[in-house]
Amino acid sequence: MSRRWSRPVHALVGAATALAVLTACGGADDSRARGTADDPVTVSFWAWTKGSQEVVDAFNATHDTIRVEFEEIPSGGLGGYPKIANAVKAGIAPDLLSIEYPQLSAFVSQGSLQDISSYLTEDVRKKFLPQTIEMTTLGGKNWAVPFDAAPQVFYYRKDFFTEHSIEPPTTWDGFRDAAERVKKASPRTRIATFFPDDPTFFQAMAWQAGAQWFRAGTDAWRIDTTDPASERTADYWQGMIDDRLVSTASSFSPEWTSSLKRGTTVGYLGASWGAGVLAGIVPEQKGKWAALPLPSPEADRPASGMIGGSTFAVSKGSTKTAAAVEFALWMSTHEDAINARIGASTSSALPAAPAMVPIAKKAFDTGFYGGQDLYGLFEEAGRSIGPDWVWGPSPGATNSALGDELGDVVGGGSTLPRAIRRAHEATVADLRKRGLRVEEGS
Amino acid sequence: MSAQDTERRPGVPGPRTGTPRKTARTPRRSTALSTRARTRLAAGALLTPFFALFTVAMIVPVGYALWLSLFTEKQSGLGFDGPRTVFDGLGNYATALGDQAFRDGFWVLLGYCVFYIPLMGGGAIVLALLLDSALARARRFFQLALFLPHAIPGLIAALIWIYLYTPQLSPVVAAMEAGGIGFDFFSSEGTLPSIVNIALWQWLGYNVVIFYAALQAVDRSLLEAATVDGAGAWRIAFSIKLPLIRSSLVMVLLFTIIGSLQLFTEPLILSRGSGSAVTSTWTPNMYAYSAAFERNDYGLAAAASVLIALVAAALSFVVTRLTNRRKEARS
Repeated sequence: MSRRWSRPVHALVGAATALAVLTACGGADDSRARGTADDPVTVSFWAWTKGSQEVVDAFNATHDTIRVEFEEIPSGGLGGYPKIANAVKAGIAPDLLSIEYPQLSAFVSQGSLQDISSYLTEDVRKKFLPQTIEMTTLGGKNWAVPFDAAPQVFYYRKDFFTEHSIEPPTTWDGFRDAAERVKKASPRTRIATFFPDDPTFFQAMAWQAGAQWFRAGTDAWRIDTTDPASERTADYWQGMIDDRLVSTASSFSPEWTSSLKRGTTVGYLGASWGAGVLAGIVPEQKGKWAALPLPSPEADRPASGMIGGSTFAVSKGSTKTAAAVEFALWMSTHEDAINARIGASTSSALPAAPAMVPIAKKAFDTGFYGGQDLYGLFEEAGRSIGPDWVWGPSPGATNSALGDELGDVVGGGSTLPRAIRRAHEATVADLRKRGLRVEEGS
Repeated sequence: MSAQDTERRPGVPGPRTGTPRKTARTPRRSTALSTRARTRLAAGALLTPFFALFTVAMIVPVGYALWLSLFTEKQSGLGFDGPRTVFDGLGNYATALGDQAFRDGFWVLLGYCVFYIPLMGGGAIVLALLLDSALARARRFFQLALFLPHAIPGLIAALIWIYLYTPQLSPVVAAMEAGGIGFDFFSSEGTLPSIVNIALWQWLGYNVVIFYAALQAVDRSLLEAATVDGAGAWRIAFSIKLPLIRSSLVMVLLFTIIGSLQLFTEPLILSRGSGSAVTSTWTPNMYAYSAAFERNDYGLAAAASVLIALVAAALSFVVTRLTNRRKEARS
């Protein structure tokens, strides 16, 4: 907080409403870079990702100079991000936060995070998939330690496809054909779901097609949502929705999960972490599923966008940056951490550090996918993640506008091109309101 | 007849006449003073906790919101250097009022009130009168059954209703479809009825209990007198019971209007948990929430909240004023 005038107010509000919290803050004034075995540095950490508690336990069991205090918070979109934003505003944020790639830029532009460039040296950066470093570098500075890459792939019911001799699709044209054949084979069944509640689902596919909505210039943002890739993606999915070739339940909603259980949804365009989630939703369908690379616009040119994916960032107010970064790097690049997370939970996250992929591969039980080499698939999908996509400083404005309109799109009251236009306008308006310079168009 | 009856009602304080207390005090001044001092002390002791809490929980946050609403955050370069907070005067208010999404929220609320208030008021009165009438059997049971939904938190209620609204999942939708009624609860036309229905389910019983309690307090001799005078059940209900529970009716109306203005939880859950047409800025409260936590614009959120509070204050003023005027006109 660089606001001199707001200090007294903050103090007043704080004193009046959160005495207990303030006391806790007072005790946490521990700016040592490194603790000792007798007197370790305490790092507080908030996350909601699967297996976080297990990782923290594994870390605390093997380290004595840093002690991590973990608190599980609600997932970002369901209240986690407001909680973080509030805590930062009130000056009571934990040292280390779990933030997904799309939201990272929002927290950076709010001044909520610390520049950790000095800890992410060339040697450290080399350990990660370049795209994940790219996405955590904003304005030339590193703001977070990538944890996983989240390329989108296509999970499908192999048994259903085989039974009706439907060729698993590799291109989007093939996907449409397959969708038609699925519907023909079983009129109430759909090949996959277009998630109207999660704008990053649609964005991931525009991203795959080569769209680049946000481009950082030297001192201005270029917002371009009318490029051919976005238009093509929008037209394609509008057609799939209009022809009722996909269902339109919300992601992870009861409607979606029950259609999986009943077998009326036989595919899922999900991220790498979705493999574990899916296996948890329909454990009884073990062995019936398989995964494919995301269908691509052109044959033999695989590409992918990302849906979510987590990073670890140090909050602005933290005085324990070194210890927090050390713990974050351990979580992302240490064998024990990957083993703890993936072995103890059902997480199927693809580590952003390629050296960790074999560990994850060994730890994840792919029985649900008939023993398929999922991580081999993920790794390739990870490499094919379009490197150009960046998130502008206002993903909240973009995504809430897009998300609002998507609800209408699947209800038939709007169209995808119109939804993109709304998102575009909302983004430009928001950036201008913040005093940023924006260039529009292509 | 009704107005005169009201005036003759036993126990109603008559118009204030003179100041008897003052004359009683004058003879023994010293005792009077110490009594006054004691009264003051007691009042102070009893009121301090209230004012302390009121200050902490109301005045300070409202003051903070007012303060926040005057500032906005500006960024430079690409926006990654952290924001500067600058004084913006009434800029946030202008932004909120100029934003169609915010204004639309009030139209949504108006539509909601037009649906909800008559249904709620009418339904609660009818049910309360039925409970109070000689016709009712198993009063305790119905009172409890009607009130039960209110004991369920709004959040849980919304989640349950989402389930009941979801096509292919809900037995209700399945039954409706079997009966030839196709209704999409999540479509843009369906959302308002969907939410009115949740609110009715949740609040109807609560208001019935308030009305029923007021009806129970009506002097039975008055009702007997009316019966002797030849009034039937309808006549008694409309000309005696309802006028006598007017203060409860006004209170419920006031609470319902203010409650409607704060419409938030149910539509928020519906907008997040289903593919419904409820947008993130559907009601003014949701607009403020979205501004603060989706767009990180605390100044705008504070300004929107202050505007909502002003509208609520204005509406409650109008409601109380109108009903008071009617009361004065009657007496």
